[in-house]
Amino acid sequence: MPLHDVGYRAWNSQRCGPTATVWVIAVTGFRLAWESRWLRRMVFFAWSPALIFAASFFAFEQAVDEGRLMSLGEAAERGKNLDGVGMLGTVLADALGGDPDSVDIESTRRLVWTRLLLAFMRAPQALLLAAVVGLVAPTLISRDLRAKAWLVYFTRPVGRREYILGKAVILLLLVLAITMLPALALWLMGVLVSPSLAVALETWDLPLRVMVASLALAIPTVLLALAYSSLTAESRIASFAWFATWVALWIAHGALTTADLVASIRAEEQAAAVATGAEVGEVWAGEGSPPQFQRRPEARPSPFRRQFRWLARATGIDTSLDRWAWVSPYHSLGVMQAAIFGIDRRIRSWGPPAVTLLVITAGSLVVLAWRVTAPARG
Amino acid sequence: MTAAVDAIPVQLTDVVKRYGRRTVLAGVSLEVQPGITGLVGPNGAGKSTLVRSMLGLVRLAEGEARVFGHDPYRQPRRVRELVGVVPEDECSIPGLSGVEMVRYAARLSGLPATEALRRAHEVLDWCDAGQERYRPVETLSVGTRQKVSFAAAIVHDPPMIILDEPTNGLDPIERRAMLGRLTTLARNHGKTIFVSTHVLPDVQAICDRVIVLARGQVRLAGSIADLTRPPSPVHHLTGTGPLDRLVSELAARGLPATLATGETGPLLAVASPQPEQVAAVWAAAASAGVAIRSFAPARRPLEQVFLETLRQAELETNVDRPFGSQSGGAHALA
Repeated sequence: MPLHDVGYRAWNSQRCGPTATVWVIAVTGFRLAWESRWLRRMVFFAWSPALIFAASFFAFEQAVDEGRLMSLGEAAERGKNLDGVGMLGTVLADALGGDPDSVDIESTRRLVWTRLLLAFMRAPQALLLAAVVGLVAPTLISRDLRAKAWLVYFTRPVGRREYILGKAVILLLLVLAITMLPALALWLMGVLVSPSLAVALETWDLPLRVMVASLALAIPTVLLALAYSSLTAESRIASFAWFATWVALWIAHGALTTADLVASIRAEEQAAAVATGAEVGEVWAGEGSPPQFQRRPEARPSPFRRQFRWLARATGIDTSLDRWAWVSPYHSLGVMQAAIFGIDRRIRSWGPPAVTLLVITAGSLVVLAWRVTAPARG
Repeated sequence: MTAAVDAIPVQLTDVVKRYGRRTVLAGVSLEVQPGITGLVGPNGAGKSTLVRSMLGLVRLAEGEARVFGHDPYRQPRRVRELVGVVPEDECSIPGLSGVEMVRYAARLSGLPATEALRRAHEVLDWCDAGQERYRPVETLSVGTRQKVSFAAAIVHDPPMIILDEPTNGLDPIERRAMLGRLTTLARNHGKTIFVSTHVLPDVQAICDRVIVLARGQVRLAGSIADLTRPPSPVHHLTGTGPLDRLVSELAARGLPATLATGETGPLLAVASPQPEQVAAVWAAAASAGVAIRSFAPARRPLEQVFLETLRQAELETNVDRPFGSQSGGAHALA
């Protein structure tokens, strides 16, 4: 018997409540997940896009400080890549709207910052989020099912609610670490490099929008990932389902959008043909060259928008209605974030994606509630 | 908590549980009193479902369950605060060490952080876990894992402990130590211990009462002393010397005895003497030149009681069953 063995002693003291249980599950799960070298690398890598966006913030504030905003805007209008990636140039050109005399620094700053933050959270971070969640989430519940660790929880004063919340908080911490924290850091850096700290008061709502947008991004994705994890004891299957959902629905969205685009071009061609008196598909039999199809200038996307339409939508430059956004979680999240950042508030834009995200959230919760205690029920 | 703990630990009344069309518990009524109670039964008897119903993990089709006066399905948190469980299945969180696992269990049971760590070490010391506690649970030997599992069940000092096959995979020394710990908890600390097991000698060694479950029904329940008492009262006498001479000496004193063979050698089965006749037994032994080693009421092995009960249950089931239907579970009687 060891010297320090004091035998069995009674214990009767004040116990902690269910909130502490959630936190215990979350912290222990996070610590175990963090032991993965791959996860640490991914999270480190997930912060790298912030450096590029930080350069955009710095270039903008430097231009404001040195009074070069107009030249910056003019250069942007000419399509020059001022910050090396073209992001700031495009955003700024769109913000200034080609009317250099009516530039208001405050409103321009708000617009530029908003679009930069949205682009940051939307384009690189949402994709990295899918990767990070796909790395961690599939094991969270499926491993408990496989190792019968659910007995560790459900033979103790832990309910379904605390269990699901605890697991969700593990992912929420990770998601917020790669979306909200770097976005808030960008805003803070923007304030620090701006000519006056009063900029913080001018843009006070942006951190709040960042937080709300991060939660809008995190909640459905986290619950969907956990629901997949709860459906199988094989984490590989959950991983596959998770990535397949993102990729397949992205492709579905792309296919539907392309079909729409082709249909609209055909309709315009038809309209142009009617205007010139020719039948659609009719072989030109007139003299000289056939009449050229003239599209309306506002309907013709710029080369940048054509190449990176999804990025243009992400930054809020392209606010044309994405009527198929609800098909894909990625695009639904983008539309919701654009609405939260105040770039596209039309209900017909964010209504259907909001329904999609609500359905994902509610469906995932139902699956989780049903599945997590299924082994205990026999 | 005191009021709750003063209540009867477990009371089940006409409990019915069905999985689809299959009835797993068919009107189970039982009480688990303080002390050590064993639950025995063949595979598929409904033991695990019974334990799950005590923890509120399954919803009962009919009947009522009370654990320390609480309904386990409606108040699972309250019930699980009062109960510690050692499941049969190996369950652990991969990546945690033994002590972290016990500490985690303590935290989940509501102990504050520092207290949980202190208490985890304390119970692991008591369970003789040694330095093994610092190794990841998935790398521990079966015996150490069982100690960790047991420590995790008692870390929050519950008034009742439910164990499912607690001596599975333990060597004889560890098995004896585990049974000793259970006895200590019951006798010295007033815990209610409920052991579900197939190892009948373990039940006979430590339990005060036993419940035999078969085909979802309680077939036998009572104290071990009562259930293992032979039909006619007999004492067993073992000793060294001429036992055959002792038989005739006892007969001369009006105490009929027969020579039999016990587990450890020859013994005498003596018709249980009245208290005033006990001295005559010792006198007969002295005159026969026999040195008595033991003289105690005879006990039937629990295994015999168990098999008889199952045989009876099987007969009853076959009587109820239509002619020609398949007789499942007959292997249990083989």
